[in-house]
Amino acid sequence: MALPDRIDPRPPRRIYRWDLDKTYLQTEFDTFAQLVRTALQKASEKQAVPGAAALIRELRAQGDTRLCIISGSPTQMRNVLEAKLKLDGVEWDELVLKDNVRNLLRGRFRALRGQVGYKLPVLLESRIHAPVEAEEVLFGDDAEADAFIYSLYADLIAGRVDEAVLGQVLEAAQVYPDDRARIVSAWRAVPRADPVRRIFIHLDRLTPPAYFARYGSRVVPVFNYFQAALVLLADGHLNPGQVARVAVEMVQTAGHNLLTLSNSFQDLVRRGLPIQAVAAPLLQALEGALQGPGAVLQAFRPLPDIVKAFTRRVAALGGTPPPPEPRAIDYLSVLDDARPRTHRARKRSS
Amino acid sequence: MRRSRPMPPRATTIAFDVMGSDHGPAEVVRGAAALSLEAPHIHALLVGDGHQIDQILAETRHSGERISVYHAPDFVGMHEKPSEALGRTPNASIVVATRLVADGEADAVVTAGNTGAGVLACARTFQLIPGVRRAALASVYPTRTWHGAKQDPFSLILDVGATVDATADDLVVFAVMGSAYARIISKNPHPSVALLSNGTEATKGPPRVVEAHARLAQHPGVRFVGNVEGVDIPKGTADVICCDGFVGNVCLKMLEGVAETVVELANYAYHSALRWKIGLAMLSNGLKQLKDVTDWQQYGGAPVLGFDRLFIKAHGRSKARAIANAGKVAAKAVTSDLAHAIREGLSLAGS
Repeated sequence: MALPDRIDPRPPRRIYRWDLDKTYLQTEFDTFAQLVRTALQKASEKQAVPGAAALIRELRAQGDTRLCIISGSPTQMRNVLEAKLKLDGVEWDELVLKDNVRNLLRGRFRALRGQVGYKLPVLLESRIHAPVEAEEVLFGDDAEADAFIYSLYADLIAGRVDEAVLGQVLEAAQVYPDDRARIVSAWRAVPRADPVRRIFIHLDRLTPPAYFARYGSRVVPVFNYFQAALVLLADGHLNPGQVARVAVEMVQTAGHNLLTLSNSFQDLVRRGLPIQAVAAPLLQALEGALQGPGAVLQAFRPLPDIVKAFTRRVAALGGTPPPPEPRAIDYLSVLDDARPRTHRARKRSS
Repeated sequence: MRRSRPMPPRATTIAFDVMGSDHGPAEVVRGAAALSLEAPHIHALLVGDGHQIDQILAETRHSGERISVYHAPDFVGMHEKPSEALGRTPNASIVVATRLVADGEADAVVTAGNTGAGVLACARTFQLIPGVRRAALASVYPTRTWHGAKQDPFSLILDVGATVDATADDLVVFAVMGSAYARIISKNPHPSVALLSNGTEATKGPPRVVEAHARLAQHPGVRFVGNVEGVDIPKGTADVICCDGFVGNVCLKMLEGVAETVVELANYAYHSALRWKIGLAMLSNGLKQLKDVTDWQQYGGAPVLGFDRLFIKAHGRSKARAIANAGKVAAKAVTSDLAHAIREGLSLAGS
């Protein structure tokens, strides 16, 4: 029997798209000094957001997944960023960085800070080659325009946004003509599907969660990655043991404790996210893990305290708030979010 | 040589009675939200109408990791009679908040609501520290001298209403409790303590004050400086001033009334003559500094002392900043184990 020329990997069932700065990495570049410090940091000096690396590892462990990282960091940082991801045990399939030197040399100064003209075409082009049935979960932060761009991407490929609205968005975001053409061309080539299940926004700047209500229930602002893991458990992307491992990493590396975790849990319940059903299996997983020899979950002992903390947080609410209603996004009314943060701040102050 | 890092402060949970303040739930929730951003070791447990709290919280910058909510829709209004209101609403937010503290779910209570209801809820839920017969409601008052390492421009007056008919024993206990509080909160290692009377001589005042004077003069755990008169309160002659609740309440209300009258007179003068207007305008910078220094909002609240758990009463008109500061005061008293400091003080000289 002849062997095939090559064995292609199985097509991904799920695609996870991550931003890097302020989503995966704890980065500060709001001032020039911070920018320089960030650029000069070694891989070992860079800090991941607590729980982010564990969450990615657990999502990857499910198999048939694809990890695509799209970052606004310059291409010159590729080596150090790759080294950091390897240090954290994160395996990726795509790592796209921004060629800002090219933008600079071509005098495209708006593109240096612009997010829409950079991320949207990369997302669409990446989707062209993905299986139509592959689900997507996206991770961004509240520092720039991630909620806007990810939502627009999801609605574009689902056919919920037409070309006229897209044109107005690109106009408002001051996207350069060649990038506009690239976006429209990629959009036309993407098979129509509705694969984006969740968009997690890491609240690096602690933007009030209500701000993101405009993007509907698909966008879930999270204070930490334990919250994201809980939602992904409810959505069937993780099992309870994997969520427990994310929590443990947060306890061990960032000083999280039973209070912060149970508060995080209650915060999601109060926002109407359907995670109450996962509390019991999660606690069972913790119990099982605690009984195992040399279990890493020792950090959580004693178990009755864990159970009490979580169940009391739910009981304290008296009733369950209704889940947030899905709503169509009026992109023209949130155009301001598409502009770079500096432009928005200037506009508000004027 | 390896330098050891300072230990992070112990995590404390402060239960905030969200309902019942003059401004409704918004300012209390915002204050707790601000606290969740400023002080990572303090967790806020917001007790009140869950729906209202969630709505305000969702639109306020906060850390969801350091805030939780306990639903208690009933509350005691500012002008309700405490005993009747608590009988009618046994699950009022202030009662639930004190119960959560008694059950160990939180370490202290902060409220900007009905003072009487708060004190009554404490009396029904908390235990008095052994040696304490009656609790004392303390208050801070701006003075012209600064107190302690923190240079607080306030002195502590107790009792201002919890125990109307204090005995000599009670006054001695108040002195010990006030002294412990000033040591911890104002970072004043040896606070001066005085009795409020109608003269500075040891023999002045009613028998209970005279007796308390004699005992405090011998007390090894209190730096007793003798009697002070009403005029000494704004002068800041002592760091802690003790009196019974009746006298304290009358004094405090009078001092507040005088302050309000001065402001009204200045207002009147400002509008009545141009030269007054110019004069006050020239003084405005200094007046603003004076206002900043003596701004009660920076102090947050005052404690009810004598219970095994801490209760901080913030002003009914407290805005978010005052609420956040009240939370900080509560957390500081908890981490410094104020109850233990009071117990120690009471054990000295068998007071």
